[in-house]
Amino acid sequence: MAVSEKAMPKAASGPTRLQKLRQSMAVIFESKIAVIGLAVILFWIFVAVFAPLLTPYTPTEQDYTAQNQGPSAKHPLGTDSLGRDLWTRLIYGARVVLIMLPVSDSFWLPLGTAIWGVLLGLLVGSTLGLMGGYLGGWVDEVVMRLLDAMMAFPVVLLYMIIIAAVGASATNVVLAIAIVGTPGIARLVRSLTLDIRTRDYVRAAEVRGESPWYIMFVEILPNARGPIIVDAMLRVGYAIFAMGTLGFLGLGLPPPSPDWGSMVAKGRQYILSGSPWAALWPSVAIGSLVVGLNLFADGLSEESTRYQ
Amino acid sequence: MAKFIVRRLLLMLLTMLLVSIAVFFITEAAPGNVARNVLGIHITPEQEASFLNQQGLDEPFYIRYFNWLVGTDWRARSKVGMPVRQITTEDGFREWWAVQSDGSLIRWGMEGEDLFAQKRQPDGTVKEELDNERWSVKDPAIELERLRAYRAELMANDRLAEADREAILTELDQVLNILAQEGQSGEALAAALAGPESALAAMVDPEALRKKDSFQKMATDVSRKNDLIRVFETYDRLSQPETQDLGETDLQSMARQLNNAAAVLDGASPALEEQLQEASSALESGDIASARATLEDATQTLDQEIGSLGTFIEALQGGQYRQAADDLEKLSDPAATPLDPTKLTVLAGVLEAVGEPLEDDAPAVGEPLLQAVEALEAGSDEEARGHVAEAASSLRETGRTIVRTEAAQGARVARVFWGVDAKNHAVQWEKGTGKVVWQLVPGSGWLAATGGPVEYIPLQKGLIRGDPGLSLRTGRPVADLLFTRLRNSLVLAGIAFVIVMPLALVLGLIAGLNQGKPLDRILSVGGMMFSVTPQFVTGIFLILIFAFWLDLVPGATVFGEKAPWERPEMLILPVATLTLIELGYVLRITRASMAEVMREPYIRTAFLKGLPQRRVVFKHAVRNALMAPITVIMLHVNWLLGGIVVVEVIFGYPGLGSYILDSALFKDFNAIEGGAMILVAVAVSTQLLADILYTFLNPRIRFG
Repeated sequence: MAVSEKAMPKAASGPTRLQKLRQSMAVIFESKIAVIGLAVILFWIFVAVFAPLLTPYTPTEQDYTAQNQGPSAKHPLGTDSLGRDLWTRLIYGARVVLIMLPVSDSFWLPLGTAIWGVLLGLLVGSTLGLMGGYLGGWVDEVVMRLLDAMMAFPVVLLYMIIIAAVGASATNVVLAIAIVGTPGIARLVRSLTLDIRTRDYVRAAEVRGESPWYIMFVEILPNARGPIIVDAMLRVGYAIFAMGTLGFLGLGLPPPSPDWGSMVAKGRQYILSGSPWAALWPSVAIGSLVVGLNLFADGLSEESTRYQ
Repeated sequence: MAKFIVRRLLLMLLTMLLVSIAVFFITEAAPGNVARNVLGIHITPEQEASFLNQQGLDEPFYIRYFNWLVGTDWRARSKVGMPVRQITTEDGFREWWAVQSDGSLIRWGMEGEDLFAQKRQPDGTVKEELDNERWSVKDPAIELERLRAYRAELMANDRLAEADREAILTELDQVLNILAQEGQSGEALAAALAGPESALAAMVDPEALRKKDSFQKMATDVSRKNDLIRVFETYDRLSQPETQDLGETDLQSMARQLNNAAAVLDGASPALEEQLQEASSALESGDIASARATLEDATQTLDQEIGSLGTFIEALQGGQYRQAADDLEKLSDPAATPLDPTKLTVLAGVLEAVGEPLEDDAPAVGEPLLQAVEALEAGSDEEARGHVAEAASSLRETGRTIVRTEAAQGARVARVFWGVDAKNHAVQWEKGTGKVVWQLVPGSGWLAATGGPVEYIPLQKGLIRGDPGLSLRTGRPVADLLFTRLRNSLVLAGIAFVIVMPLALVLGLIAGLNQGKPLDRILSVGGMMFSVTPQFVTGIFLILIFAFWLDLVPGATVFGEKAPWERPEMLILPVATLTLIELGYVLRITRASMAEVMREPYIRTAFLKGLPQRRVVFKHAVRNALMAPITVIMLHVNWLLGGIVVVEVIFGYPGLGSYILDSALFKDFNAIEGGAMILVAVAVSTQLLADILYTFLNPRIRFG
């Protein structure tokens, strides 16, 4: 998604940009896999944006006369153990993942929880990676040892301890995703920086007497963006994966928020007693979205390497 | 090579140290209260403090970390004055004992106010004998200060009867005089104190504490037993700041309670009934604010309806016996409490609830109350009122004894002793201060006693001597369970590994050889889909398909002691879940590696040489193509461990991951730390293993 969003404003500024966009669109449509992935992603974004228009219920509305039901005309995907409409909870759950980050009861930020987690991780990870790669010396040594220690730590354990420490809420899930993602991003940015710092334009900036921070963020970072963007897209997929897992382990958004992972965890109890629906649908949702993102990123990188 | 391994091992130790500090910090910062997690939300603040003290959790952060790392036995040694030693009994339990100068083992316990020594005989049996000579008078200067403050407290104590106050003050002043004389030896001091102390002891009713306890318990029980009194409780809970934390189920059960309360009224008070139902439905829909407002009105109505009953229970809970007796008396006075049907219902219910628990511990109060209930049920108000009045006067008398006992006990000079108890603590016992100490006694719950252990040092050897401490959750050594759980997880991971490796490598090689063809497409896209799908999603699908619809295999794992071998069929789905996820990952790496190798010039050379394809692939390509997957797989162990946690949770498998998750949710940090250390050790050593394997596959690499 990051690509098309970035491309939109550019398109307005000139015909060459428009051509570029057309070209990248062509790349996307060249790969069947990427098209399928994009379709799945767009589907979820669509239902997330228009969620209130697509259902007569609210995600917390309970109906004690209709518990653990299968699909019917009244409830297209069935209901959960409290009689809440599964389709409604599913599409409101997509909102939390993709288009809004609930900070408090009355305040929310645009862009989803998963995306904010990746953005925050990008910010911290890029800064650390740039510092390690460009400044070198003891800074590099300290940053790398720190990241090594973090990477030696099993990811889920890290998630569990972070969430156990800061409590379960959407902002803390963002924080956890960012912290866990930071080492990987920092390593990627560092290796890119090590390569780019030897280029002539960096030398030129150094000779001009620019400050190290200017060189890192204005000269190096923009020139490293390609691989970072592809990596970030895969990371959004992994962040959704992580959100789901956290929710499943009871460390996600607090109830009664419609959180896919915790919906699965709750619905799981009723599978063997004969009502699989509450566990099935959110599983399908997470699976399809994550696979969609990966198909898209995969197809994209495959096609773009073919054109190089 | 050896140098390289040593350096890596040192790095591993450094990482473990860093990780252990980080985990300690984070668990420290975590909200939630381990005492409450372990003992339930109904514990009192005293019980909580006692629990934290017993576990050594009230110490500052850095001391606890230090204790965990290097142990506490050496510190206990200087307190106890003799060495302490950990032994393993014939039954396999680990016990700590103090070692006397002749080498024999001893530890202590306190019963009532007496100290008993348990001496371990060479044949392993334990002989118990009275050992009161070990008590020593607590530092006179400190005691003088405490008792002076206590004197002021005594003057201000309005629960105490005037005559009792006089008597206690006389003795206390004597004690203060004796303490104020400086330079007395311990024995002379003890002898001088004997007189006033025996006078104080005469004022103590040995049963008083039990009676007090039963009053307290009764007051709590009543508020739990009686549906109407529960209305008060619900209101209290809703008014507390942590209302936000109430989960959906809490609200549901509170709503049910209110409905029950309304049903109890059964038309006796339509106004109250309506209010209660309104609050109940507000709670059900999650509207706490309006439920609270309605309930406030309801409690007011209830207060009016049942008169002084609400304050009676409150007074009893707060130890205000005179007030409680007054309230009870009011019930017996027809002018103060005219009875109507509502009140009769409530009154009979409350009196019954009050009377029953008191029957054994304070029969003078309990029996008349039960008689009153009988009278009420028989429709005789007059007789009931008589019984209630009787109970009120007994309550007044008993209350006075309790208050006097408490006051007299506090006026004595404390005796202290440092020793080792039977539950692996170094303990300072103290008696004679009247301070109530809570102890968790297995089988009978929390018991309060005056005198007892006041300071604990939980005895442990420390991690660097191989002892990760006791689990706070189970009270058993972390090491015992940790290794069982680790073995279970390794069995699961091992089986999955054995299945995945050959399969994934072969499929990956096939895909790599057929790069771009449909077979490759299917394999690599399919592999990707499995590898990026969260484990719990795959697990749920497998359960749905194979356990629910096809009903072929069990959908959950339930193991006893001999896990995981007793029911091998239960391992099928967990292993399948892990396999699917790992399969895709390894397959993709192998495919990429194989595809790259096939483009290398030496492969082209080999083909041009005229070698058959089979030979080129197996002799030249495979060996080089496998290098990347093997390192990556080893580096991937961290991720695999994460996946195992989720798989264990889905299937309820008793492995290390679910152990750490439960411990983290409990804030049981000895267990979290132990688990984290093992995980780090596993992760780092597999990375080392990967590096070593690499040198075998690629002899050009040397480590120096």
